[in-house]
Amino acid sequence: MKRLDLELTVGLFIIAGIICLGYLSIKLGKMEVVGGKGYEIYAIFSNIGGLRTGSSIEIAGVDVGRVKSITLDNYQAHVVLDLPWSVKIQEDAIALVKTKGLIGEKYIEITPGGSEKIIQPGGRIRETQPAVDLEGLISKFAFGKI
Amino acid sequence: MRLTIRLQEGILLFLVLGITVSGWAGEPMDQIKQTTDAILSIVSDPALKVSSKAEERRRRIRNAVDQRFDWEEMAQRALARHWAQRTGEEKKEFVHLFGDLLERTYMDKIEGYSGEKVQYEGDTLEGDYAVVRVKIITKKNVDIPVEYRLQKKGDNWLVYDVSIEGVSLVNNYRTQFNSIIVGSSYADLVKRLKAKAAEK
Repeated sequence: MKRLDLELTVGLFIIAGIICLGYLSIKLGKMEVVGGKGYEIYAIFSNIGGLRTGSSIEIAGVDVGRVKSITLDNYQAHVVLDLPWSVKIQEDAIALVKTKGLIGEKYIEITPGGSEKIIQPGGRIRETQPAVDLEGLISKFAFGKI
Repeated sequence: MRLTIRLQEGILLFLVLGITVSGWAGEPMDQIKQTTDAILSIVSDPALKVSSKAEERRRRIRNAVDQRFDWEEMAQRALARHWAQRTGEEKKEFVHLFGDLLERTYMDKIEGYSGEKVQYEGDTLEGDYAVVRVKIITKKNVDIPVEYRLQKKGDNWLVYDVSIEGVSLVNNYRTQFNSIIVGSSYADLVKRLKAKAAEK
């Protein structure tokens, strides 16, 4: 009887441990179990220079959302952005692919616009600015072309 | 007899429609091309290069640019969320100051034109919006990609943003204006713009 109690306690602890591990991996991996708490809009970039699914979206330097998916559409990058309901994006907002520091990771920054029209879920941010290709720029102006 | 008339009408209609449709496809690019050609002809006109005509040359360039650029839309986009808080009078003044700021910044570059080539790469139309892609080839053979973003207003396609090497003009000013307004005030921004206009 006593032995059974011990085994039961160990079992319970292991189950609790597994639950904790699962919670941690979901939290740290920034995955969603039951749907997001926001809406999606998309933007088309001519070059995203290494942006990845899960990269952050910032407004005024504040992390507001995540890149949900990136696909190639007509040789351009079709990026789906996941934003919370509390963040409204105006029709003339501009989405930019930026780099943290000089060689850091890529993220998307949105500069809010002044239009009264708000982009509806599933809508598109028309104005985009691709990742700046620093190496390309340097080589262009340092060496020129043939 | 009646049938032949019908047929002729039909052919005529087809021709007219055919022409309008084919003319439609590249309308934004045609209009950009027109303006660019007009400016290039002013800039390379030897009669206007004399210093006594400098004023007139400037005015004519500005006129040509004014016809294609929607200053109000650009100023509104650059001021972004601070635009709605301005009164009608302030908006008018700001559009004027913004136009002058751009003139001041870019006029020297236009006037310094020395035979750079402009190559038209194509345009993308989407409802009332269009993007025209152009390449400017400098004398050193470096090509600079430029993108005009246009919006249809009436019969005209008007530019509301220009991207050079992928960097948007509106976004550049939007971030600067925003940090000035948030950091101090709108009045300070106007003061700075006016000071800049009085520099020369």
